[in-house]
Amino acid sequence: MIDAFLFIGLPYIALIVAVIGCVRRARLSKFSMSARSSQFLEDRQLLWGSAPWHIGIIVVLLGHLLAFLLPNIWSSVLTVPVAMFCIETLGIACALLALAGLGTLIFRRLTSARLQAVTTHSDLLVVALLFMQVLLGLLSAIYFRYGSAWSTGTVVPYLWSLLLLQPDMAYVAGFPMLFKLHLIGAWLFILLLPFTRLMHILAVPFTYLWRAPQRVVWNTTRRRQHAVAATIRAESRREFIKGAAGVTGATGLLALGVSSKAVNFFKGASHDPEAESAMLEKKLQRLQLTAEERGYELERQRNSMILVSPYAELDPLKGKYFIDYAMAPGLAFKGKDGMPIVMSAKCTHLGCTVSSMVDDNGRVLCPCHISYFDILTGMPNEGAPAKAPLAQIAWALVDATGKVVASRAPGQPVTGTLTPEALAQCGLYITKPGKASA
Amino acid sequence: MKLHETLRNTEKFLAERLPVEKMNYASMVQKKEVPVHGLAWGYYMGGLAMFFLMVQIATGLMLLFYYQPTVSDAHASVEFITDQVPAGALVRNVHAWASSLMIGSVLAHLLTAFAMKAFEKPRELTWVTGVLLLGITFAFGFTGYLLPWHQIAVNATKIGLQTIEEIGGYLPGQMAEWPRQAKEIIQGEASVGQATLSRFFSLHVIILPLAICGVLGFHLVSVQLHGMSKGIDAKPRHMERFFPTFLLKDLRVWGIAFMVLFILGVCLPFESLFAYPLFEPFDPKGSTPDGIKPEWYFFWVYYPLELLPLWVILVGSTLLAVLLLATPWLFKNTNRQTLRLLAIMAGIYLVIMTLFGENIYHLFKG
Repeated sequence: MIDAFLFIGLPYIALIVAVIGCVRRARLSKFSMSARSSQFLEDRQLLWGSAPWHIGIIVVLLGHLLAFLLPNIWSSVLTVPVAMFCIETLGIACALLALAGLGTLIFRRLTSARLQAVTTHSDLLVVALLFMQVLLGLLSAIYFRYGSAWSTGTVVPYLWSLLLLQPDMAYVAGFPMLFKLHLIGAWLFILLLPFTRLMHILAVPFTYLWRAPQRVVWNTTRRRQHAVAATIRAESRREFIKGAAGVTGATGLLALGVSSKAVNFFKGASHDPEAESAMLEKKLQRLQLTAEERGYELERQRNSMILVSPYAELDPLKGKYFIDYAMAPGLAFKGKDGMPIVMSAKCTHLGCTVSSMVDDNGRVLCPCHISYFDILTGMPNEGAPAKAPLAQIAWALVDATGKVVASRAPGQPVTGTLTPEALAQCGLYITKPGKASA
Repeated sequence: MKLHETLRNTEKFLAERLPVEKMNYASMVQKKEVPVHGLAWGYYMGGLAMFFLMVQIATGLMLLFYYQPTVSDAHASVEFITDQVPAGALVRNVHAWASSLMIGSVLAHLLTAFAMKAFEKPRELTWVTGVLLLGITFAFGFTGYLLPWHQIAVNATKIGLQTIEEIGGYLPGQMAEWPRQAKEIIQGEASVGQATLSRFFSLHVIILPLAICGVLGFHLVSVQLHGMSKGIDAKPRHMERFFPTFLLKDLRVWGIAFMVLFILGVCLPFESLFAYPLFEPFDPKGSTPDGIKPEWYFFWVYYPLELLPLWVILVGSTLLAVLLLATPWLFKNTNRQTLRLLAIMAGIYLVIMTLFGENIYHLFKG
């Protein structure tokens, strides 16, 4: 019996009273629709109360409204578990946000004398009921999990049955007391709508969103000075905080980035056996090259003759590089008469090594500053950066038995003559400057 | 009597240039002010150069952990840094980029300081030490270039040093040998080899850093003692405090520079700007590679050297050195407008020679 009153009688009474009352109030005192502002009396706590409360409760109410208006779409969305978890989490978070805000608002109402001067009994009743209602809803959501999903099969048909004037209590009769209280609370709010500040729900200030911005300017000297000082204070503090945060953040990021690179740098290469052996091999090769070069140096200090190449390997068009007694590069060619041409390969301009390829005019090129040297005379071309000829180097041909069969000192004719067959067996040597080639 | 007077004059000269009575917190930090005017960006150039120097010191010390200054291992160790060590390529690349950027900002600092007449009495010694720092910076570039010991590095160094020997051609009799001997003293042996590498390494890593620390110390102290120069003939718009306003702005410029450097270091290998493969190790028996040329910051003297007879360059560079060192006295009475014009002309010359030097060379040499 009592259930029938609470879940069928009360809703209809509430709805009828609400509709008639709201229309009447809207007609009679239009400007009482919006809630009376208390921002002038107290504004700091209001921000931390009003904003979270309204944000939280609007999101929660929109959830209720969606489930009521579009139950099919709503339940099909909720079949995806992730979506359901998200909606449940969002709902609970917003309920907590609303409760925290409402708590702040209640505390504010109760502790400020200026506010109490404008607080009516209905205001207190409304906030107390609201707090209870949100708390009940939150507890229902926690104790009877996934209400967003099960409500579409129970509460929503009940509400629709009321709306279609075929009230069916069967859906709600078996509800736990906690949830029944939440439902009754909802009808009570609808009943109270026309008589309290709750009616501001219907006065949504949409035009606020696109109206031109307004600024309040206080036009008394004292107010102005106060405002300027407050702005400067706030600005300087904000600037300092912004700057400090920026510097700290940037320094932190920089330190993090640099140290992540630096630490790894000092930690050294990772041990990759293949890369390591390749590296070792390369180093060994270079060491051998260096040792070879040291060997040349020693050889040139001790020996009066150095092997350049077997005569058979000489070519008229491609010179053979060797290292002369000054440890500078030299080039050896086979001349047209069959006798070797041996000369320095160090450009007389700036000491580059000249190329070994002979061009059509019988010249080799120094690539650095484009000087062409005639390989017969060593002379550079006209107008070349190099002015002096490439130096001739003393050489000797030695046969298989170790006997010098032909030789030539720079600027002198060849001594000794050979048949081509004998030549092929010979090796080309350079001889130490200053020593007579024997 | 004469000696006494000279001593007294010297003492007076130094006392004016080094006002140690200003060496206190109040005048070096609290009271120091920086003028704000159209050329004020020039005040950031020196700090920027110093920032890049600090980057060079940090990255250089890091490279020192892995680099091995021997003929056989130098190239392999550089390869190891680039390929194997984590962030090794980045550190090496930042070192290469920062060297170029440091030279660039040092040159910009020189030109702006000249245009602002920052060498005016009592700042003569600041200017002279600045010129010394320029020389040291170039020496850093020249010695550092050899250390990777690849084809280009060694051959470019050979050519650079050979230029010294060329001077002998202009000297009479016995003196003709002196430049060659000087070159061999620098090289340590008859041709560029291990001795050269060791010498350049110790120059690059120990001697030049010590020198730059000493000279830079003097430079900075005298800047702090005398404060910022006025910069323009007209009255500056206003003055701003050195500490913290200017310093914070300076740090912001450093931050931007670091970001640019880091992005360059990560994204663009320095070698990618060269047309030739850089990574062949030096081969004493190989021929010199084609198209070899020094780093871009030597182009302003390299291309004229290629085009003109050596003696012109010798006379020219000697004149330039004298001119730079004597600037505070030579241009004592020149107004800032003329100085600005000269600096702009020098800047245009540097930019054109650096960007289009090769084209100009081919224009004349085909």
